[in-house]
Amino acid sequence: MNLLGHPDLLDQIAAAHALGTLRGGARRRFESMARENPGIRSRALLWQETFAAFTELQPSMLPNPQVWQRIENMLPASRRAAVAPAVPSDLLQGLRRALGLWRGAALAGGLAAAVAVVVGIRLDQQLGQNETTLAQVRQQGEQLTAQLASAPRIEYVAVLQDDKQAGSVLVTFDPAKRALTLKRVGDYREGEDKSLELWALPPGQAPRSLGVIGQGAAVARLTAAEGEVAPSPALAITLEPRGGAPAGGGPTGPIVFKGALLKTDT
Amino acid sequence: MDLMLRIAAQDAASPAALRQLYDLTSARMFGLALRVTGNREWAEDALQEAYLNIWRIAGDYRAGISPPMAWMGVIVRSRSLDFLRRRNSERADAGVELDDYLQDTLAGDGDDPLDLADASQQATALRQCLSKLEARQREVVSLAYLRDLSHSELAGQLRLPLGTVKTWIRRGLTQLRDCMGRFAS
Repeated sequence: MNLLGHPDLLDQIAAAHALGTLRGGARRRFESMARENPGIRSRALLWQETFAAFTELQPSMLPNPQVWQRIENMLPASRRAAVAPAVPSDLLQGLRRALGLWRGAALAGGLAAAVAVVVGIRLDQQLGQNETTLAQVRQQGEQLTAQLASAPRIEYVAVLQDDKQAGSVLVTFDPAKRALTLKRVGDYREGEDKSLELWALPPGQAPRSLGVIGQGAAVARLTAAEGEVAPSPALAITLEPRGGAPAGGGPTGPIVFKGALLKTDT
Repeated sequence: MDLMLRIAAQDAASPAALRQLYDLTSARMFGLALRVTGNREWAEDALQEAYLNIWRIAGDYRAGISPPMAWMGVIVRSRSLDFLRRRNSERADAGVELDDYLQDTLAGDGDDPLDLADASQQATALRQCLSKLEARQREVVSLAYLRDLSHSELAGQLRLPLGTVKTWIRRGLTQLRDCMGRFAS
């Protein structure tokens, strides 16, 4: 049946879909129609957004003060390290400036669509996936928003090695979350006055900094847009003065680790 | 909400920004978690995970696309549903009388007005339209969404006949659709 010819019925089904009470085969058929038809999709998205507002309408209750304590204790150590004023302030400012510039570039990179964690966009993505996946997502309930946003989808990996093959750094990249994760294997340690910096090596262009790795951190997390990472066939890590190479310039120190960037086929 | 930007910056001021966001929003978010899980302990666990989640992904927040409370609400609901599903098997008595819920403050009852600056237009419209439903209908529709329940799960949890639940939901949706339609365009 052409649902678009029956706007009342379309709305009724789209509302039941968004509420979650449309289940089983009917749900799958509706999602398949929504994938193919923008008119149906937009109604589905509209209702999804409407009902997301339920989350804003619940009465307030004060949580136990211990909850905040627990949250504070669990803020990742790498980020808490940034709070400690252990680094001389001029270096710290240099680092912040470098990070700021690099983040500014990331934000300007036209990546809004790729990262928007929004009901509508989420659903759009969901509707774009194959039906089997959809059915599974359904079974897990309506976690199709923040839930999907929090599940890592590793699409790129690189193993960066030193020339003696003694140590290495495993790099994974989740473009949807813009999350670059670096894991050190082996016992390479930079000196107290040095920092390791990760670079994308786009063909025919100057290396582009992807960020500075925390002093001695076994696992480091950086933020980068897909456009900054994906076009590079290889990544490299250089040894720089503490805080990283001067912002805007290229690497100033020797390459310590290097390796090819591979797209995982998912 | 520039707090999100300050959290996303991940610099020395970010933990304080998270704290500020928590102070501003945690009561509302805890109320939501409590409604979804129906259990204080799980709601607190879900709240904790949700704010840690927000800490990690604040950089993904886009003010132009969704209002902050809605964005956070979606995260809190997801985490709460995780807990509900994980623990449901342990739960001795999953059934809850509808009257227990009716004693709760209902959406649209005027108590605890939304901060309009942070509320989405959808929330304002939904609140008004919900207030026009009969209390029982409003409650069944709210629970269906918040707890991600099917008709038969709702009937089981609320100890109501399946046919009654279906009728209430259908009528509730029809009324909401007519009402929301007036807000659109």
